[in-house]
Amino acid sequence: MDRSLHPLAWWIWAGALAISAARQGSALLSIALVGVVALVVIFKSEDAPWAQSFRWALRMGLWIFTIRTLTGILIGVPIPGRTLFSIPILPLPSWMAGIRIGGNVTLERLSATAHEGVMLAAIVALLGAAASLSSPHRLLRSLPIMVYEFGVAVVIATSLIPQLVASTARIREAQRLRGQDIRRLKSWKRIALPLLEDSLSRSLDLAAAMDARGYGFSRRRSRYRPSTWHVRETLICASALLALAWPPIAIIAAVTALILAPKLKEDVLP
Amino acid sequence: MITFSSVSLIYPSSTKTVFENLTFKVSEGELVLVMGPTGSGKSSLLRLINGLIPHHTGGILAGDISVNGISTREVKPGGLAHLIGIVGQNPINGFVSDKVEEELAFGMETLNLQPEVMRKRVEEVLDLLSLAHLRGRSITTLSGGEQQRVAIGSALVMHPKVLVLDEPTSALDPIAAEEVLSILHRLVHDLGLTVVVSEHKLERVIQFADRILYIKGDGQTQIGRPEEVLKDSEIAPPIVHLARALNLDEIALTVRDMRRTTEKFRSNAVVAKVKTPPIFTAEIIEVNDVTLSYGNTRALDNVSLRIGEEEIVAVMGRNGAGKSSLLRSIAGVLKPTQGKISVLGSDPIDLAGKERRQRIGFIPQEPSDLLYGQSVQEECRTADRDNESESGATFDLLQNLVPGISPTTHPRDLSEGQRLALALSVVLSANPKVLILDEPTRGLDYSAKNGLISTLKAIASHGCAVILATHDVELVAEVATRVIFIADGEIVADGSTLDVLLSSPAFAPQVAKIMSPVPWLTVKEVVRAIGLSS
Repeated sequence: MDRSLHPLAWWIWAGALAISAARQGSALLSIALVGVVALVVIFKSEDAPWAQSFRWALRMGLWIFTIRTLTGILIGVPIPGRTLFSIPILPLPSWMAGIRIGGNVTLERLSATAHEGVMLAAIVALLGAAASLSSPHRLLRSLPIMVYEFGVAVVIATSLIPQLVASTARIREAQRLRGQDIRRLKSWKRIALPLLEDSLSRSLDLAAAMDARGYGFSRRRSRYRPSTWHVRETLICASALLALAWPPIAIIAAVTALILAPKLKEDVLP
Repeated sequence: MITFSSVSLIYPSSTKTVFENLTFKVSEGELVLVMGPTGSGKSSLLRLINGLIPHHTGGILAGDISVNGISTREVKPGGLAHLIGIVGQNPINGFVSDKVEEELAFGMETLNLQPEVMRKRVEEVLDLLSLAHLRGRSITTLSGGEQQRVAIGSALVMHPKVLVLDEPTSALDPIAAEEVLSILHRLVHDLGLTVVVSEHKLERVIQFADRILYIKGDGQTQIGRPEEVLKDSEIAPPIVHLARALNLDEIALTVRDMRRTTEKFRSNAVVAKVKTPPIFTAEIIEVNDVTLSYGNTRALDNVSLRIGEEEIVAVMGRNGAGKSSLLRSIAGVLKPTQGKISVLGSDPIDLAGKERRQRIGFIPQEPSDLLYGQSVQEECRTADRDNESESGATFDLLQNLVPGISPTTHPRDLSEGQRLALALSVVLSANPKVLILDEPTRGLDYSAKNGLISTLKAIASHGCAVILATHDVELVAEVATRVIFIADGEIVADGSTLDVLLSSPAFAPQVAKIMSPVPWLTVKEVVRAIGLSS
């Protein structure tokens, strides 16, 4: 099997891309960038629980975009321009002058808020891509032992999230089989409680296991198979860092990763 | 190797002491079995050994525990990592990395060992536990037995002197359990490792134990050779019950020894005529040519079966053979890719609400998934309201199953057996025609298991069809009227319990192994038959 890319390389790459997208401030560039990065995730991520992070980040980005646009339409400072439609203005007390709820929605105002929404969503998606391309466990191993508490937290969080998804499905199924309507919002209370207990006991188990195996006991830590930094990593990171200077290069950096990164789909033998 | 001197333990929020004045010694190269009813403190005892209690979980500890001369008072669990390897109840919860090889190396990395040393030790352990072909695999794709072996391996790479295991075989099928236990046996004999293991299914471990530490649950403990402890202990495997029932002077703990002493009973046995096949009862469940695939893998392959009233059907097979898929398809959670399932004439996938409750009751592997109330009483009231039955009906049912549960207890504070009983009474309060249980005996002690057996028999006699997936052959021998054996998604055997269990040595219960070729499965059957012949 091909060796995977150094996990830090993925984070530097994604971070640099996110910063350059934010600096350029062009919705078009951001959307194109997320598109290419999506290809990288599809072709280069492992079949592992954390590979789903990108999908979740995309969903979250969509939510952010929707909420940002809605609030932009409802609340805010009027921007003059071509009026598309208008919403009745909600009367507010005089001390809240300067804030307006409702009113005319102009094309300019709509495009400005939508644009901001796209930028935010793109940044979330790019960081999500890094999370789904690099194994959190391997990332933890490349971090110095000084950040021990942080390390425990990362391991617990990253192994918990996929477990949380699995437990939710399991508990929802059980509740449905008890004949409960699980679509109603109220049913979440019935699911949340067993879920909380389940995840809490799992996290404690994991923390105890790490403790018992001496994690963080010694200040020095050796590496079994250290993640190595090759020309590949340098090229990918360098192209992304160049994009900091001139943002449009970001697209080239994303394509570089698409070409250079190893493919890690695992072949599970039957 | 391990010394407990007058150890007492109490948890801050509780008024009951877990242990009082516990004193014992375990010497090097011993395999000590810790047994006791659920909630008696077996896990606590194991966690005391490497100081996870009180360092990690809290608790007030009196007395002193030392391992290889090091007191757990002075050193944190991490400082004992090179000396004690501990494998938790659910190894999957304790895995830190995603690949087998990296998981094995994790502990050594934290001890700052040199890469060359690590390489060598990883190879040794891979060979020792026959894991070499799995080294690059991702841990989540491994079977239960393989995961258990990885967990043991990642403790062994540290070259510990003591290995502590909490119910290592509770989730495993009989064959995988046998594998894990024989590895432990070899480690004790070849490497002089000291092993402390807790287990409910005594029939699996008893022949490997050098000594037994019996925690009685009322603060009393007893330690001694298995023959001594089991002579008059409340908890005992079938082999001991058999010896007691036959009034043997000596208790033998292996099938071989027991066969020698029971020779005369077998040769004198008048085998009652073979049971008549069950009378055809009204059909409840019909499964026709069902195939279920996830992506490329087939969980069920062209399965057809019929289950009628009053039947108790045990579904057995290896981990991952398709037991859960079959159960969940019948329960109507999974939609078959091909074929049709009907429960009392309707497709279970369409059932919802009250109609579902009155047809199919389902107890998942974790009974607590069903429960969300803040107290036993609240849980029972919700069930009453759901079923529009008179208030108190569910609680009465629970009192019948396990008397003496206080209605104000939080479901979380119940023992495993009590929680299962609560889930059962909630489900049964709707009077379902089908009851499905997925692995109901995980973590149940013998008394809770006996309770479950009589409950299931009572339900079936009221015209209900009961289906349970389980690895517990002793339970199957006691309760099931019919056994379905699944391998790779196909039904390999389907017949009366007697026929199926006797046809495969690995799945034969202890009594059957001792009494073979006489077809007796349980102590009760032996007693009845011998009573007849004498």
